[in-house]
Formats: sequence, structure tokens, C-alpha cells
Amino acid sequence: MQISNTKQGVVVIVAPVGRIDSTTSPALEAHLQSLARAGEHRVVIDFSGVDYISSAGLRVMLTLAKRTKEARGKVALAGLGDSVRQVFELAGFLPLFSVEATAEMAAAKVSAA
Amino acid sequence: MSLRVRVEAPGAPSVDSVIDAADIVIGRAAKPPGLLVADSSVSRQHARMVTRDGGWWIEALSPTNPTFVNRFPIDAPREVVAGDVVQMGQASIHILGAPGDSADRAESAVGASASSPEDARQAARLRTLNEVHRALATAISLTGLLDLILERCFDVLRPEEGIILLRNQAGDLVPAASRQGKAVGGNVFVSRRIIDEVAGKGRSALVVDAAIDERFSGSESIIFSGVRSVLAAPLNDAEGIIGMIALSSRAAVRQFSQHDLEMLESLASAAALRVRNVALAEEAAERKVLERELALAHDMQMSMLPRHLPDRPEIDLAASLTPARSVGGDLYDFVLTGDRLWFIVGDVSGKGVAASLYMAVTKTLFRATVQIDGIDLAEALGRMNRELCRDNDQMIFVTALVGHLTLSTGQVALADAGHNPAVLISPDGALSQVAIPKAIAFGVLEEAQFTEGRFTLLQNATLLLFTDGATDARNPAGDIFGEAALDAAITAAPKGTSAALVAGIITAVEQFSAGAPPEDDLTLLALRYRGDDPS
Repeated sequence: MQISNTKQGVVVIVAPVGRIDSTTSPALEAHLQSLARAGEHRVVIDFSGVDYISSAGLRVMLTLAKRTKEARGKVALAGLGDSVRQVFELAGFLPLFSVEATAEMAAAKVSAA
Repeated sequence: MSLRVRVEAPGAPSVDSVIDAADIVIGRAAKPPGLLVADSSVSRQHARMVTRDGGWWIEALSPTNPTFVNRFPIDAPREVVAGDVVQMGQASIHILGAPGDSADRAESAVGASASSPEDARQAARLRTLNEVHRALATAISLTGLLDLILERCFDVLRPEEGIILLRNQAGDLVPAASRQGKAVGGNVFVSRRIIDEVAGKGRSALVVDAAIDERFSGSESIIFSGVRSVLAAPLNDAEGIIGMIALSSRAAVRQFSQHDLEMLESLASAAALRVRNVALAEEAAERKVLERELALAHDMQMSMLPRHLPDRPEIDLAASLTPARSVGGDLYDFVLTGDRLWFIVGDVSGKGVAASLYMAVTKTLFRATVQIDGIDLAEALGRMNRELCRDNDQMIFVTALVGHLTLSTGQVALADAGHNPAVLISPDGALSQVAIPKAIAFGVLEEAQFTEGRFTLLQNATLLLFTDGATDARNPAGDIFGEAALDAAITAAPKGTSAALVAGIITAVEQFSAGAPPEDDLTLLALRYRGDDPS
């Protein structure tokens, strides 16, 4: 899995590419933690390059949501493909997140006060 | 086996040589690997040296020009040892011993006349290093090794304080061992600047007086508290700088020299390789512990599964859990309360012991909750969820389907907590997803609400519950098994019993995976309703 980072105004757009499973999710978690340590609490996760997410990946997203909430930040998800969306939906997690079609729309949502 | 010798001839500088071959000629015309003694008083082929029984022997070759050992002419082969002096013509050959291990004896053999203070220092250094090397090889734990390194540094360099820093997994240098002389108290510190200089740039550092050394002047509380003289060297190996060692003293007590620094550098390079090796061995041991933990988690998970399925004429029940190598936390269970059969299939996120513990908790909660008199299904899930939300810092969550079947009527109540939908297999083999209200997985939202769905199983209809180990199984090419393949496997499975259905699906998943290791537990629970007229 590759992870790219784009700073857009006050928002960081994190775009993992590949599968987010029990093997790759620790790297994503470490990446998101380092962003948090750097004070980045307005985060968009762009899933357009992700074709699979397992429950381990969902846990990373839950942790991100919790951490961001505690820091009074915001998080939004974007670019969810059908299979990724289905995993979120099955676990009942979609209502926990702000979900937008594109990273730009998500960034606009997250940067609003 | 090799031997170090020093050749001295009139009017020529002395030459140290190492004899490597087992049988060599010594003389004025000797060719490599022979030993050339370039003096006109020496015969072209004067003598011969051979190894035998672990020692070195010398034999005179010239019938007219004698060879002496320690001033006595020899007429038969004679053994020589370190300290002996072989004489031929005007030249003499000092036997120094095997390279490396006998610098001390070399020192006494050569005698004060041939030895400068520098030679003496080098010899002492070699001796110490050899000793340290041997000592380090005996240490088996990293802590023991680091203590030993510091102990040797104290013996040789006599500092008041010493510290070893090692890189942790995050790459930061952290104190790994320290040692203080008797007269010193407090903690041992190293200044950031010394660390940057030594571990950052890989350079050793000698600070004769920290207060006046310009590299460190102005830096707060320089090195060790109240100290003036510091030696520091990186611990280097092929893969880079793995740490550093620093020694210090109050200058009034001891000031380090350039020679001390060289000594510490040598000690550090001897230590570095050992540190790496021991650290790797400890890592391997830790991995073993982790593997044992996983094995423990696996045993725990399997021991939590019901040993006997409820045996009632109205139902035909089969369940199976195939654990993935890195244990996840699937579970299934049944509880019979009167006419009601409760069941659960769940999948705990996360791996290893934590997930298994959570699995155990979920199962225990299930058993306790459903046995509360007259409890409603949705309320049972709500209670389980609230318990699982408590102190859940790790954000472990559990997806589950929980339900009950009324044995006398075939009525089913089923509720979802973030789990894959169940499949209903009608008596004629048609498949459909069981549509019930969705809700969030256990352990995430304390206030989450759960809603039950109700339906009735016809006679010989089967309800199939499973975890995503079934649908998400992958083959070596990376393709996912998927729901369509699961449906096909259900249809293709031998008809008649729940056990055959479960076995058929497992076989299909295994065939598809073609040896690719499963990433997730695979759990299947088949509940076939035979009604009050078992046939």
C-alpha cells in the first residue's frame, strides 16, 4: 500500500492506494497518528485508490474518528468504491462519517468551520 | 596457523613479517612465501621452518653456515616459541608468536630496546581488545552484554561515569545501560550535542575540558553533571549507527587523551557487532513469545466454542470455525432456553490475544444476557453493546448476528450488529438474503439501537450465518471468493444435512484459495428446521 498526502488549505487529504487489510493497516494507522502529532486534525481520507478494506482497516477509521473528535477536528471520507462502501455499510459505520463523492468536496466540508 | 616474526639485520630497519605457509625457507634468496633475510652473511637458503603438532619448528639447511636458537647452534629440528631469538650470520629473527593473541609476549620478547612507548601502548591495547572480545562472546543477554562493555571500559579507561545509548525501533537513541564510579551520584546524562556529533555524524568525540571546548561551549549542563572530560564513540556496524557509548570524568580526577579515544573506538567497534547479534537473538526470542501468544489465543478461541451442539429433533444444526493463522476472533454459540434456541455468530476486529479476549467476553455476555428471563432480542443486543463499549480504548469492535428460533413454530427473530447478512435456503433450494434492519457493530456507540427482524422457517428450510472469512477468501492471484461464489457453493453442496452443507462450503472456499493462507477466520453456522415432523 502506498499513502500520499496533500495539504489543501487547513485540510490534509490522505490517499492510500491498494488494500487496507490487517497487513497494511498498521502503516496507515502510524501515518494518521503522525499527522495527529503534527496537529493535523482536519483530515480527508480519499478511498478512490482503495479496492478493499477489512475490519482491521475499519478499526483504523474508527480510531481516526475518535481521535479527531477529541481534538475538535473533522474527518470526511471520499471516493468510496462499491466494495469499500459496502464494508462500511455492513458494519453500520457509514452514519459515523461524513461521506462525499470526491476529495475536493470532502475537503470543502472539512475546512468549513 | 601463522606466526609473527621480526627480522633484524645490521644497517637495515627491522621488519615484522607474518609467516602463513606451513613450510617455508629462510635465507638471502628466499622467495615468497619464504622469509627473505637480506644480509650477505646469511646463506641463500639458510634454514627452514615448518609447523608440526600446533607448534613451529626450525631446521638448519646450510651445512657450513650454522643457525642458532637463543645463542645455541642447532643440529636437529628444534621447536621455537614466542620469545625465542633465531640467529643466522649477522641477522636475528625474533619469534613474536601468533598474530593477535600474544602481543604481551611479543612485548617481552622484543625487549625494551626495540619497543617505543607507542609500541607498548598498541600492545596493551591489543591485549585488552582480545580480552574484551573473548569476554563479550560469553554474554547472552543484551543487558548483560552492555553491562560487560561498560565494565571493561571502566577497567581500561577509568572514567567516573559511562553510558550506552541504543536506537529503539522508532530510531530514537535511548539510554540502554549506565555505570558510575563510587564517588559519583545522580543520573548519568549525555548532552544532545554530543549525541548529535557522535551518533548523528558517526564521529567519535574527545572533549578534554567541556567548559572550554568550542564545539560544546554555551551548551547547557554540557554532558554529565559537573564533568569536564568526555570520551564518546559511535557503535557502528555494517547497517549503520546502532548507538553510542560515552565515558566521562571530572577533569580534576581524570582527563582523557587521544589515545584513550582510540582505545574507546576500538572497544566500540568490537562491541557493536556483538550488540547487534545479541539484539537480533533477543528479537527472535520475542517473536517466539509472540507466536506462543498467538498459539495461546488460538487455544483459548477453540476452547470457547461449544463442544456439543444442542440436539433436538426439531433442528439439524452444524457449525464450523476455521481459524486463520494469525488468530482473529470469530465466535459462535448456542443457548437453549425452554422452547427457544438462541444463537450468535460474531467476528471480532483485530488479531491475537486482545481479539480473543474480546471474543471470550462477547460469548460470555451473550450467554448471560439471553438467559435473563423474558428478555427481548433487541434489548439483549443493546445490553451486550453497552458492556462492550466500556473501556474500549483500543476501538475493538464485534460484528454479529444474534437471534432465536422457536423450536415448536419455526419462528425466527434475528438482529444485526454490523454483520454480513444471513442467507435463507428455502426447502426447494432457492437462496435469498435475509433482510433485517441494519445496525452498527458492537463496541462503537454506547447509545446504539438494535432492531429485530422476524420471519418463519418452513420445514426443511435452512438459515445460514457466516463471517467474512467465507466471502473475502482470496486465491494466490488475489481474486476474492465473493458472494456469488458462496451462493454457488451453497447450491452445489450435497443436500440433506446441515453438516454436508457446511462441509461443502468449506471445501469450495479451500479449493478456491488454492493454498493461499486465509487472512480471516471462516465461520459457518447452518440451522435447518425440521419442524415437529422430523423426516
